[in-house]
Amino acid sequence: MNEVAIRLALTLSQIGVVMGLVLLTVAVLTLLERKVLSWMQDRMGPMEVGPYGILQPVADGLKLFFKEDIIPAGANKFMFCMAPVLVLVPALIGFAVIPFGPNWTVEVMGVQFKPFVISDINIGVLYILAFASIGAYGIILGGWSSNSKYSLLGGLRSAAQLISYELNVGLSIVGVLLLSGSLSLVHITESQVGGFWNWYAFAFPFPQFIAFVVFLISAVAETNRTPFDLPEAESELVAGFFTEYSGMRFAFFFLGEYANMILVSCMATVLFFGGWDAPLPFLQAPGDYAWITGIIWFAIKVYSFLFFFFWIRATLPRLRYDQLMRFGWKVLLPIALGNIVITSIMAYIFPG
Amino acid sequence: MNIKAWIKTLIFYEILLGMKQTMMHLLKYKPITLEYPHVKKQLPQNYRGMLALLKYDDETEKCVGCDLCEAACPSRVIRVVSAEVPGEPTKRYAKEYHMDMTRCLFCGMCVQACPVDALGMTQEFEWAVYDKRHLQLNKEQLLAIGDRSFPVKEKRLEFQHPNVAYFNVSFKDIPEKEF
Repeated sequence: MNEVAIRLALTLSQIGVVMGLVLLTVAVLTLLERKVLSWMQDRMGPMEVGPYGILQPVADGLKLFFKEDIIPAGANKFMFCMAPVLVLVPALIGFAVIPFGPNWTVEVMGVQFKPFVISDINIGVLYILAFASIGAYGIILGGWSSNSKYSLLGGLRSAAQLISYELNVGLSIVGVLLLSGSLSLVHITESQVGGFWNWYAFAFPFPQFIAFVVFLISAVAETNRTPFDLPEAESELVAGFFTEYSGMRFAFFFLGEYANMILVSCMATVLFFGGWDAPLPFLQAPGDYAWITGIIWFAIKVYSFLFFFFWIRATLPRLRYDQLMRFGWKVLLPIALGNIVITSIMAYIFPG
Repeated sequence: MNIKAWIKTLIFYEILLGMKQTMMHLLKYKPITLEYPHVKKQLPQNYRGMLALLKYDDETEKCVGCDLCEAACPSRVIRVVSAEVPGEPTKRYAKEYHMDMTRCLFCGMCVQACPVDALGMTQEFEWAVYDKRHLQLNKEQLLAIGDRSFPVKEKRLEFQHPNVAYFNVSFKDIPEKEF
């Protein structure tokens, strides 16, 4: 077997594992969200399928799979079919540059291979941001092609929201990039290793905590979650951009939304909270076993961000449209810009 | 704007209060859900559920076919066809008694209107059916509902009670009742 074939096989299996994990996490999240929400609202959540309702994702998946696939009359068929794919694929593709564990190189049958990151490209952050914006095209096109006023309004809202919040995501990251001096997520994680005082949210020259808050708020807005779920506002627009979707196409939108949530949580973890790094150095297993605790710490951080998303959803009502735009442009944008200025000054005074 | 309010805005004080509230509900998890098909609620005694026709303790129908329930019903649920009791020209009974429960709004006015307490409201409410024609009930079905919901039956009135028999002069001509 030549080298290319081995490399292909390794990469494909790695992609398979990551995709499987992400989709499994999505399935877990659908249950977890309903459970956490109902616990916070003094309800019980799904209790019928399996013990304590833990098989509910399976039942939901089967139901969606066997549902009738309806394309509304007057819809643009091609766009209507493409939109869910356009939402799901960019959300899944972003996981290619996320480092889930230490940056180790393993040699398998004479091929250099990094087991914990699919591809360590030097523009990882830009890559994720670019694909996150492509995902919004799916939402806008899905809303437009459905031939329904609610869908169109949802799509338009999504476009406006994306413009105001994508910018803040980018600007809040700049501080971290200034401090680490790299766009590669692997390198950013590497430079935060060694305890929570090295994480960029609390690190010395200028803690990026404000930037982190801006990032988190913008991330909630970007993933179309409450309190910024204007594109799919149930009480105003039926279901927003996916009003007309049913069956598997609807499931794709759903998967895309949850995969986006996981991706954003991974990004927050990697950029501000040290990725797989343990908060205290002795909590990381020594030597060759560091990857086990590393992955566990990564999962803990990602799941606490996901829990935060549910928590926010249980707490806050939806913002009005003008409030959302004003908050994005007049509050978050100046804060993010000010953070960049102060961070650059501090990084200049205390060079690395 | 004073400095305190400014700091409160800056750290999202109100949002944090709300988040604390939801977190308290999560930590002190006391669901108010009643898992309905598995656990059933204790209904109040005056619950207005499914209608039923009642019987006396000697298994005779209470209904005298007076049509007052039909007159009282605001939704025209009830249809009574009244007839003489065979062999007893002064007594009447309901030959047919129909209820279209698809229209019933469970106001209980028929129960109030009944002069002999022949109608009762049971605690049954699980009356979802696959065919709405199954909700058009006849006398036998209504009596069956009454039998299963009210096992303790009222004693039949004695019209020939010794205290009043003295006054009921005309009753002497009536032949003996046969049931």
